[in-house]
Formats: sequence, structure tokens, C-alpha cells
Amino acid sequence: MSVKINLASSLRHLTNDQAVVEVNGDTVGQCLEQLVARFPKTRKRLLEKNGALSRIIDIYVNGESAYPEGLATAVKDGDELHIEVIISGG
Amino acid sequence: MLTKDELERYDRQILIKGFGEEGQARLKKAKVFIAGAGGLGSVTATYLAAAGVGVIRVVDHDKVELSNLNRQVLQWDEDIGKEKADSAAEKLKRLNPGLKVEAVKEKISQANISQLVAGFDLIVDAMDNLPTRYLLNKVAIEMKIPFFHGAVHGFEGRAMTIIPGETACLGCVYRGAIVEGKFPVLGVTPGVIGCIQATEAIKYIVGIGQLLTNRLLVYDGLNMKFSEFKIKRDPNCEYCGHSRGKESR
Repeated sequence: MSVKINLASSLRHLTNDQAVVEVNGDTVGQCLEQLVARFPKTRKRLLEKNGALSRIIDIYVNGESAYPEGLATAVKDGDELHIEVIISGG
Repeated sequence: MLTKDELERYDRQILIKGFGEEGQARLKKAKVFIAGAGGLGSVTATYLAAAGVGVIRVVDHDKVELSNLNRQVLQWDEDIGKEKADSAAEKLKRLNPGLKVEAVKEKISQANISQLVAGFDLIVDAMDNLPTRYLLNKVAIEMKIPFFHGAVHGFEGRAMTIIPGETACLGCVYRGAIVEGKFPVLGVTPGVIGCIQATEAIKYIVGIGQLLTNRLLVYDGLNMKFSEFKIKRDPNCEYCGHSRGKESR
């Protein structure tokens, strides 16, 4: 189950400047677990202390928002995730 | 009815297929509320004024500071210390004297927002914080005023158009609150996003093209990439969940 995670450019310093990380998982949550295991610095940015998805992070699966299922969203082989960070400047 | 001078001033856009004198007349009648006279507000206001939007209300309670000038292109060195709304309105009037430009030097709040936007046809989100964006989104839904969202950070930007009762709103996209503070930004980023917001506003007024609705456009200037994500209306959205209507555009 290979899933590509595309990271917003503002997160790439946490993944040694990797824009795309390939992981395996059946859900968004499992994919993020693998990402965090490989790049531990991503945890603080992506997840709340209780393991829930951070409220400043948006996840898109094949271009569609994963809300409201969030981490429980099912993924399959070949899917692409995008992790974006909410911004608010003007 | 357009005057001879207006026909000449807007000649190049009147030539656009689907725009014509009718589209220009619609712009002349339109009343646009711009929340913020900073990075995004400077750009959207400039292009809406240049395009001939008849009434523009610019709202900002801040004064111009030196550190604003890398991106807030309606605010110049000579304006430091002046009210941003006044300074922006003065430039817009010089750009296009035929328009009505109003400067409002108030902080947008729950208490005044309904009054501030009353009578306006469109709301442009040019704010620098999420709580005020939520307020604008709420009043836009309640008063059924189309809302043109934009946000920037560093080299990144986002834009989305919201048609109340028909399309996903800001509450269907954002659920969190961001710790506010000084954010990094390069002036060209609000330039890009502000132009997208102004394009959307003009298209809506004229009635041409396909709007950026139910789609979040994400701009990554560092890698020069645009991404688009589908946004569905959230039936439990605290802002628009109760106002389900047409699911189109």
C-alpha cells in the first residue's frame, strides 16, 4: 500500500527538505504515523498532544479534503496525500 | 449608462468577450467592501478601482508603519503615521477620480460588522487574522453577500470564493484558530493572491467565467506551483450548515 505524502513547502524543513515522502498505510492516520516515525520533528506540527490531527493542518486525499473523517480516512495503494498548513496573514 | 470618458478609460476590458459595455456598467453600479488596507487590501482595492468598481469601502483601524511598506503597496513612505484607510482611499481616488471611495477607520468587530457591510454587494477578505475572517464569513452567510477569501504567509497564499447558500464557506475549510502574531511575507505574495481575489470579484460582478467556488487554490511561490483542492460543504458547518440551498457554481 504505497501512498505519497506531499508536504507544504513550510513543512519541508522537518523532512530534510523532502517534498514527497512515500509511506504505507490503510488510513491517513497510519500514513502520518509512518511519516512521524521517519521524521520525528513533524509530530509537533501535525498532531496535537493527544494524537489528534492538529487544527492548523489540512489533509487532502487525491485533491479532496479529508475532513471530517481526518485521520480515519481510508487510503489505498497509489493515493496521494497533501498536507497543508492553515495560514492567516494578509 | 457609461460616459464617453468611461468608454475610453475601460476600452481594453470592454473589448473582452462576454464583458462589453454591459459588464462595465455592472462594475460601475457595484459596491465592494474591502476588509483591510494592508497587503491584500492594497492590491484588491487598486485593481477593483482601476477596473471601475463604482463604490469601494476600505476598512482598517491601523496606522501606516515603516515595516508595512514591503507589501502594502497603497501605503508609501510619506504615509507613515497616517491612517491606512485614509492613505489607501486617497491613492484610489487619484487613480480613478470617478469612483466613490470611502475610508472607514474602525476595527471590525461583532458589534459593528453588520452595519459596516450593509448595502454592499461583495466582501473582500483582506484581513491579517483568522478570528476576523470568521466574523466576515459569518456575516457574509447571514446577509447573503458573496465573500472573496485570501490569505498569505511567506511565499504561500490561498484563495477561495464563497457564494452564501450555494457553496462551501470558510468554516467548511478552516476549523482551527492560529496563534496570531507577526507573520513573514514577501510583498509579491499578497500581490498574487490579491490579484486572484480581484479577478474573482470582477468575474462575479460582470457575470462571466467560472468562480473559484468549492475549490481552495493554494499558491506556493517558492516552488512556483499552484494546487487546487476540492472543498465540500460541511453539513455541520457552524456558519453555513443551516443555509443549504443550491449546490452549484
